[in-house]
Amino acid sequence: MKISGGGGRSSWSSSTSSWVPTTSVSASGKRIQREMVELNNDPPPDCSAGPKGDNLYHWIATIIGTPGTPYQGGIFFLDIKFPSDYPFKPPQVVFKTRIYHCNVDPDGLVSMGILKDDWSPALTIAKVLLAVRSIFTNPDHYNTVVPGIAHLYSGDRAKHDGIAAEWTVRFAK
Amino acid sequence: MENRRMAVNGEQKLSPRNQKIPLADSNVQNMATLLTPRFKSAAAMAGWDEETLLLASLIVEDTPDRDSKHKRRSLLNSKSPSTNSSRKRRARRTSQKPIPVILDLNAEETPVKDSGRKKKEERVCVDNEGSKVGGGDGDESKEKTRSAPSSSSALPFIDKLRDELSCAICLEICFEPSTTPCGHSFCRKCLRSAADKCGKKCPKCRQLISNGRSCSVNTVLWNTIQLLFPQEIEARKAAGSLNGRQQAQNLSPETAFYANLRSTSIQPSGGASSRNMNSRRSVAITSTQEDEDAALARRLQREIDEQSPGTSRSRPRMRTRRGVSTSQHEDAALALRLQREEFIQTFRGGSQEQTIRLPSSTFARANLRAMASRAVNLRTNDRRR
Repeated sequence: MKISGGGGRSSWSSSTSSWVPTTSVSASGKRIQREMVELNNDPPPDCSAGPKGDNLYHWIATIIGTPGTPYQGGIFFLDIKFPSDYPFKPPQVVFKTRIYHCNVDPDGLVSMGILKDDWSPALTIAKVLLAVRSIFTNPDHYNTVVPGIAHLYSGDRAKHDGIAAEWTVRFAK
Repeated sequence: MENRRMAVNGEQKLSPRNQKIPLADSNVQNMATLLTPRFKSAAAMAGWDEETLLLASLIVEDTPDRDSKHKRRSLLNSKSPSTNSSRKRRARRTSQKPIPVILDLNAEETPVKDSGRKKKEERVCVDNEGSKVGGGDGDESKEKTRSAPSSSSALPFIDKLRDELSCAICLEICFEPSTTPCGHSFCRKCLRSAADKCGKKCPKCRQLISNGRSCSVNTVLWNTIQLLFPQEIEARKAAGSLNGRQQAQNLSPETAFYANLRSTSIQPSGGASSRNMNSRRSVAITSTQEDEDAALARRLQREIDEQSPGTSRSRPRMRTRRGVSTSQHEDAALALRLQREEFIQTFRGGSQEQTIRLPSSTFARANLRAMASRAVNLRTNDRRR
């Protein structure tokens, strides 16, 4: 995905008076900055997130596997890419750490209702991270992208959990 | 103090109906204007002591400056834990205009009649101020020390308010809040863009919004926000208008207001129909920016329409007007605009000859020439500034 609203180093570091934004970029940039501040002040449990480099529209996040799930103890890295008309379009969330989960496709792309049609501009990255964390315990059955894993989850839960735990040990520790 | 007592005694002899009879004592005369008959009747319904009322109003009247009045109010508010009163206190503190006491009393008049809680508050206020008579100057220092902690305790409260009054879409304090039928409030612009881009659902609860397009501002909420966070709102207003102007300066063809104008003036045709169309288009563009800008543009359009015979030469005036309004903010932008004007003026030579041929244009020409010279004067003044 091409990031059009990035703005680059010079535009964000320069003063606002000399920098001329188009409305959408400045609005989304402001909102992302605000979210960053709020995440730093009050981070959600077991989650962290922040810009990857100097591009405000490309973040990196970590989620620690919830205890009591096969993902327990794993540290999962995620890439978050904001569209230029954020928050009116959902961010794209990609697992950088391999994970055995029916809502995560082989490329790591997370498939969840709130990241597609159920997105709402009132959602924030903190809420998205909490939602991603919640699919560790309860997969989103309406948005499964790996039918095999989903089938195993409903049919043979123990086997599913075993494989997931094994993947966690192999890739996320 | 003696003087006051006498005034009160003189007043007591009068029945409430005789208030308007002129009296020798100036204090009493002030009293008559201070307490309106309606207030008196309301006070009577509330069962207030006449003397306490008069004493209180005398003290209010004698209050030398606003600050001490605030201290009294904050003292009162620190006693009552209700959110309403501390909001009021802040609102009073932030408002710049001194509130005349007579208005204050009248404002409380109607609530006094129907709400018992308000009545009590008012009475507390009266009693509180009445007790000051005996207290004297010693009370003042006590007030200062007592009101200090109450202001510091307001800080976490304000943070909560800020969270509560911020828009879930832009995460800033709601600017011109609009409330959905389901009861959630967002900035009007945010809600409109959300309805446009994400469907007509409430961003908070996903209920259907039928009137996503015609969202109206929740006036009460907007006024409250303006009273509570004047700095933020002012900053955002300034940023919004600055942004709009910068956007206009930006050379992207869809958004640039001036670029549009320039393109029309470059075209030597200057026909009335094309001009109208263009100005209408420019109005449409500015309406997405600040409201002030839109209003200004509309006003300017009206001005142009009034001076319809002069086709191309009414435009410099418009531009100069705008230039004047923005020059305080951005000298650089002004310089650019002036450059553009000069550019257009060179073009005007050509269009002038066209307009001479029109029979109706002779009147307008003299008129417009005067206008143009005025515009030049304004411009030079601005340049000097």
